[in-house]
Amino acid sequence: MTPNFPHHAIVLISAVIIGLLSAPVKTFGEERECPVPERFYEFEPPLTKTAKALAAGREVVIAALGGASTVGLAAGGPNLGWPARMSSVLAGKFPSARIKVVNLAVARQTAKAAVERFSRDVFPLKPTLVIWETGTMEAVRGTDVDEFRETVQAGLNELHTAKTEVVLMNMQFSRETDAMIQFGPYLIAMRELADANDVPLFRRHGIMRYWAENDFLDLRTREAEKRRQLATKLYDCIGHAMADFVARGVTAAKAATSPGSDR
Amino acid sequence: MSITSSPSVMERDLRIDFFRGLALFCIFIDHLPNNFVADFTLQSVMFSDAAEVFILISGLTAGMVYGRAMERQGFVIAGVRVYHRVWQLYVAHVFLFMMFIAMVATTVGALNSSLYAEEFGAANFLDEPGVAVAKALTLQFQPAFMHILPLYIVLLAVLPFVMAGFRSWPRVILFASFVLWLAVQLDKRIALSVYPGPDGVWPFNPFAWQALFFLGVWLGWRGTRGEVSWLRRRWLFCVAAVLALAGFVIRFNWTLHDFYDPIPVLVSGRPLWLFLSKTDLGLLRFANVLAVALLVARLIHPQAPFLASRVARPFVICGRNSLHIFCLGILLSVLGHLVLNEFFGGIPMQFAVSAAGVAIMISVAALMEWFAAAQGTPRGGALGAPTAGRGARG
Repeated sequence: MTPNFPHHAIVLISAVIIGLLSAPVKTFGEERECPVPERFYEFEPPLTKTAKALAAGREVVIAALGGASTVGLAAGGPNLGWPARMSSVLAGKFPSARIKVVNLAVARQTAKAAVERFSRDVFPLKPTLVIWETGTMEAVRGTDVDEFRETVQAGLNELHTAKTEVVLMNMQFSRETDAMIQFGPYLIAMRELADANDVPLFRRHGIMRYWAENDFLDLRTREAEKRRQLATKLYDCIGHAMADFVARGVTAAKAATSPGSDR
Repeated sequence: MSITSSPSVMERDLRIDFFRGLALFCIFIDHLPNNFVADFTLQSVMFSDAAEVFILISGLTAGMVYGRAMERQGFVIAGVRVYHRVWQLYVAHVFLFMMFIAMVATTVGALNSSLYAEEFGAANFLDEPGVAVAKALTLQFQPAFMHILPLYIVLLAVLPFVMAGFRSWPRVILFASFVLWLAVQLDKRIALSVYPGPDGVWPFNPFAWQALFFLGVWLGWRGTRGEVSWLRRRWLFCVAAVLALAGFVIRFNWTLHDFYDPIPVLVSGRPLWLFLSKTDLGLLRFANVLAVALLVARLIHPQAPFLASRVARPFVICGRNSLHIFCLGILLSVLGHLVLNEFFGGIPMQFAVSAAGVAIMISVAALMEWFAAAQGTPRGGALGAPTAGRGARG
């Protein structure tokens, strides 16, 4: 746009970008059916408070907020939802720690309704970490994006005041709905929120798209039983991925606070 | 065929056609999901995006065409022409809605049996299609991608009255329009609700966006005749240049940060969110598009050789047939969605789909140009459409 921006610089930047994006992807959990590329985890801020609580041997309460996909409805119930799956994976990763995962999700809950529940349902648990899955209802209903952003920001402020660590989780990806419901603006809003508040964002939409794109998980079926199985597998994959995500956040925090590091 | 050779195109402003064409391509590309190419459209280098460009240019064009019509043919004839155009836009909106419903109808089975039935079932229109149709006819239901036309329709519908006002008290009307915009910035409750509720609003708030459109109308009508001398002031040019440059630096830095996280953010977005609302046309979006428009108006001659060149021609012909190409672009973005979500294919595929869509838009525009020339009818005249800088081609 500006004439003084050298042309070769644009070419160079584009080349670097394309190079970065098309570089062979290192993935996480290679051995599983649903690996997650490194790019979804890289550069996310560390989970300092959770790491401290774990190091001190305190009980770590992780509260999961969200909608039907966090409840685990499509698989049959909360014991098959991703929070429960994450819980068992985390128990394996941190065998000596006391980690308690509480699933507070309610189907069709808006961000606003979730924030209103904070003081009643969330804070009494004294959670170390809140994983907040949100955005779906707003996208489906066409809520004003600015209002959604304000709501989530207010929620993040409250959690910050309560000294609770937060991980945001965005929407699910599905081939059927992507052309009908515009997730784009809400996905961007959540990325901006995560960025501005220095809060980690678990990019479920991108990860699920990656799985669909690479045939790890094709979630299309019309049979009820098969659908239940697929949902179970999906939530298991998300649970694993989220456990990896949390573990990485904890490791990064340890690295940052350990002596000799000036970060 | 060459429009530059005709003496009557003296007043033809190729910039309008060119930039409207550019906006149409950007709107199409921005609407494709997870599209790498969308990171290189207008929105990556300025706070505003193609929507602002489209609405501002539509205002300018409407001001030129209907302003002249009002002077020559009187208020009533000009008003009827405007409503004829409103009707065309309405029909286009209904046509696009039919396409949307057809798509929903073919995918609704898959949707209801999908893992996401519980969450997406909250979109009431799947349960009550009859209500959805009625609400679409009243512009209260605006499914994905169908947001700009309803805005354009309501703006045009009040245009005759605003223009009558401009004739007598231009300053009062402009001031009132600005005050309404300001009121929306201060009170978010000034909005129109949409179906399905309960808390949905028009994605383009007409009470805010009217300010951009009617400013365009006024400039198109009066500004182009040199009646707005302060537009040529040097300080204004400097302010616009600083604004546009600041917008570019800040916004492009965000784009780079999104690409590669370790690139530091120069100016944090959080304090600016208040001024970046797309729904309510936030201050920065409003100011940025006006600044860029002023720079274009001052730096590029209406008949600059580049605009008449072969390279610019695809943009110009698409911009000149804007309503058709706009609708085509919406259909293509829905189709592109289906293709990208069915076959994926990464960045090469995103490039391919974007390029194919743009190529189809250009081909159809070329076909329309050819057909209009073959028929020998003045373009746009018969339709009463403000297709370009002038209502009819010479």
